[in-house]
Amino acid sequence: MNAMSGNRIGLLSCFLLLGCASVASAQRSALEVTPAAFSFPSADPDTTPVIDAPPLQVHYRVTGNPAQWMITVRAQDALTSGMSTIDVSNESWTATPAPPFNSGTLSTMDQTLAQGTGNAHAFASVTFSLRNSWNYSAGTYSQTLIFTLVTP
Amino acid sequence: VVGTAVALLAATVGVPAAQGVAPMPVTATFVVEQRVALTLSSATLTFPDANPETQPQLGALEGPLTIRARAAGQPGTTAVLTLQASDDLRSGLDVIPAGAITWTASGPGFVPGTLSSTTAQTVGTWATPGQHVGAQTFLLANSWQYAVGSYSVRLTYTLVTP
Repeated sequence: MNAMSGNRIGLLSCFLLLGCASVASAQRSALEVTPAAFSFPSADPDTTPVIDAPPLQVHYRVTGNPAQWMITVRAQDALTSGMSTIDVSNESWTATPAPPFNSGTLSTMDQTLAQGTGNAHAFASVTFSLRNSWNYSAGTYSQTLIFTLVTP
Repeated sequence: VVGTAVALLAATVGVPAAQGVAPMPVTATFVVEQRVALTLSSATLTFPDANPETQPQLGALEGPLTIRARAAGQPGTTAVLTLQASDDLRSGLDVIPAGAITWTASGPGFVPGTLSSTTAQTVGTWATPGQHVGAQTFLLANSWQYAVGSYSVRLTYTLVTP
C-alpha cells in the first residue's frame, strides 16, 4: 500500500520534472539582428579599397545556463548580380565586444561569430567589410547572410 | 522512483544535438556603379631638338608613358581608350602636323598609332571590368622642313565604357 503510493508520487514527480525540462529548453535562447538589410556603399576602388557597411546590432539572450553557446554566421551564396558574382572571401567582419565576439572572414560555411558559456544577455555590434576592386562588374549585387544562435 | 525521474530528466537535458533559435536572415546589397579611371605617368612630353640627318626620329625625354586604365562596366562590354590632339603642333604661325607623332605600345590591349587632330585614335581596348597597365613610346618624325621655334599641342586621353 505504501509502496504503491510511493510509485504514484514518483511518477508524478517524473512527469513534472520532464515538463519543466521541456519548458526550460524551449526558452533557452533568443537572437535578433537589426536591421534585416544593409548595403555596402558604392565607392571608387582607388580611394576606398575596403568598404565598411553600417554596423549591425546583435541582441542575444541565453538562459538555462548551457555548457556552451555559439552564434554563427554564413553567407548563403556569393554577392550576385545576374551572372556576375563577388566571392564571399572578399567579405569580412569585426565585432564588439570581443570577447565573446570575434572577427572573421565570411564563408558559405558557418563561421563562429561569438561563443561563451552559461547565461548571457547582451547587445553586440558587427560591421561587415568588403574588399573593393576594379574587377567587379557594374551592377546591383545581393546576398543573404544567416545568423544562428546555437546551444547544446 | 525519484532516482528514475532524475535519470530521465538528465537524459532529456543532456541531449547532445545542438539546438538553436530560428536562423536570422540578413540581406546584404552592394551597388557597383559604372566608372572609369585613368592614370598617366607624366603630364608632359618633351621632344628634344636634334639634327634630322642623325636623328630622324625623336623620342620623348620622359621616356615611355605608362598608362593605368581602370573600368568597371557592365559585363560583356568593352572599355576603349583614345587619344586626340587639339590641333597640330604650333609655334606662332609655324606648324608641324600632328601626324608627325607616332607611338608604339606595350601591354595587353594597347595598340600602336599615329596622332591626329581630327579623329580620336585608339590607344587600347579591353573587356570590362578590370584594370590594365601598358605604355606608349612616342616618336616625332624629325625634318629639315620644320621652322625654328618652340612647338606645343595638347593631347587628350579619353577612356569610355558603354
